[in-house]
Amino acid sequence: MSIMQYNGSAVVAMTGKNCVAIAADKRLGQRALTVDMGFDKVFPMTNRLYVGLAGLATDVKTLHDRFRMHVNLYKHREERTIAPKTFAHMVSHMLYERRFGPYFVEPVIAGLDDNQQPFICNMDLIGCPNFPNDFVVCGTADENLFGMCESLWEPDLGPEELFETISQALLNAVDRDAMSGWGAIVHILTPDGVITRELKGRMD
Amino acid sequence: MAKICDSIGMVYSGMGPDFRVLVNSARKAAQKYIQTYMEDPPVRILVKELAGIMQEFTQSGGVRPFGVSLLLAGVDERGPNLYQVDPSGSYFPWKATAIGKNMINSKTFLEKRFNGDMELEDAVHTAILTLKEGIEGQMTEESIDIGIINTISAAESGEAKPIFKRLTKTEIKDYLSNIV
Amino acid sequence: MAPLLEPNAGFKFDNAKRNQLLSDKGYMVPTATKTGTTIVGLIYKDGVVLGADTRATNGSIVADKNCRKIHYLAPNMYCCGAGTAADTDFTTSMISSQLALHSLNTGRDARVVTAMTMLKQYLFRYQGHIGAALVLGGYDVMGPHLFTIYPHGSTDKLPYVTMGSGSLAAMSVFESSWRPELSREEAVEMVKDAIEAGIFNDLGSGSNVDVCIITKDNVEYIRGYSQPNERVPKEQSYRFAPGTTEFIATAPAATANDAAAMDVS
Repeated sequence: MSIMQYNGSAVVAMTGKNCVAIAADKRLGQRALTVDMGFDKVFPMTNRLYVGLAGLATDVKTLHDRFRMHVNLYKHREERTIAPKTFAHMVSHMLYERRFGPYFVEPVIAGLDDNQQPFICNMDLIGCPNFPNDFVVCGTADENLFGMCESLWEPDLGPEELFETISQALLNAVDRDAMSGWGAIVHILTPDGVITRELKGRMD
Repeated sequence: MAKICDSIGMVYSGMGPDFRVLVNSARKAAQKYIQTYMEDPPVRILVKELAGIMQEFTQSGGVRPFGVSLLLAGVDERGPNLYQVDPSGSYFPWKATAIGKNMINSKTFLEKRFNGDMELEDAVHTAILTLKEGIEGQMTEESIDIGIINTISAAESGEAKPIFKRLTKTEIKDYLSNIV
Repeated sequence: MAPLLEPNAGFKFDNAKRNQLLSDKGYMVPTATKTGTTIVGLIYKDGVVLGADTRATNGSIVADKNCRKIHYLAPNMYCCGAGTAADTDFTTSMISSQLALHSLNTGRDARVVTAMTMLKQYLFRYQGHIGAALVLGGYDVMGPHLFTIYPHGSTDKLPYVTMGSGSLAAMSVFESSWRPELSREEAVEMVKDAIEAGIFNDLGSGSNVDVCIITKDNVEYIRGYSQPNERVPKEQSYRFAPGTTEFIATAPAATANDAAAMDVS
């Protein structure tokens, strides 16, 4: 078994019209044993930028701390909040620094830029960035999520439509993945603020 | 005069060799920033970096302070920026300023001539007139250097990008011929 | 402050011991994104044409349908990358940085052989562990140049080259139709045909054709020069009615690092 499958995870982000959504399941397991049903995998970096981390839970925690430190340092140094694209390149750089001893984490980044345009990005564990304009997925349910998103996603969804689309994509993907699920959390980033909702999911 | 990165240029007054050392540090710092964030550094960040180095040399053992004052000009997210950095490590933002032997007269001149919404051509013209005040004898394209930062569209993305450029001898000659 | 001041040069190995332990315990180390890839380059009458497909793969999953494989090196030089995607990205960007410093110091455009030498020495130093297979093309004072660089650091200098998993398909096109002194139109069409041969016959390559034409004082970078796999519009919409998804609570937004507050939890 790959170490990426040890704790189980599913993270997805999608673009909409002037909004962007990021969602993740809440399970933390040790292989087949479920340990926690409220494990956060998506973290706010600024009020316009969220990062989701799928993979080995210990590295999820470590990287969250390190990202926060770097975002805060950036803010002190440059007297401005970090832009999603800049943050993505910083993350990518941090992961590639450990090219030969990586963190076992695949990040997903979702944010709104200065012009309120959606930005999404994902990376492999050594920081190869990928900037599509529709959706990004990662975690143990990534193949399921790809299938769901390819069929459900369409361009220019509004915040509420995007909520339904991303929620259905995630819930149905994790229902076919034993390693992830146990509820989910969705964040919709809009120019007016962030909407955060906890989804009801199967608990098996 | 030296180009630091696409969006930033730097001039000095003082000791040439000291300047070259700082140019090297500035270029390396700029490249490190670009490598990390994939964008050109804001001018202020580079100014702080250089000011930090210059400050360190005022209180380190076995070294002397840098014998240069710097002017850094660049375009970033905040718009056009001009900074002065002194050997002590202190730095100041300006709209227009001068450093060197004739700085007092030049600054007085700029106070009269400068205004915030000048076009590029006017700005170059004013800069030349300011220099002319302090230059002894004839001013030629051989004796002055001019750098400008313009925006051009990048080959790959088509996005507008600031580009620092030193004017060629012929370009400077054209400007000079318009003055006399 | 001391722990924050980490050395920034080179790779870090602080996770390596732990990762080795995990791998010894039987947990497989995951694979990185690869660019299965067809990349090509050829020299024609007035310069060099580079071409690439735009598929990135993670195992048998298509990780990116429209990725960028022709990387900027210098104003007069571009470089196609195949192999481990992160390696090609970061190797080219690092060499690009060094070339920028080099040409700033010398006051000239860097030569293509300089870039080639820097790349091969870097890759050789890492003994093939940096999985970057490159096609380097550029125009300098000595004229047009085209090189291939392998992950172990060996190089070839040829008038027409292909690399990546689709290299055989692409080479079949070049071997049958390349000749010296091609015109620009012929050259670009041939590059397109070669990449399309890879796109259609190699599973690791797909989607669109990117082309980059480098001549004496000009570079033309065309993303999606040919798009033979455009997605047909969906015939039906799967929009859900508002209220379809049951949610338990509308949680207050987690503390964010906004303009006033900073997340120091």
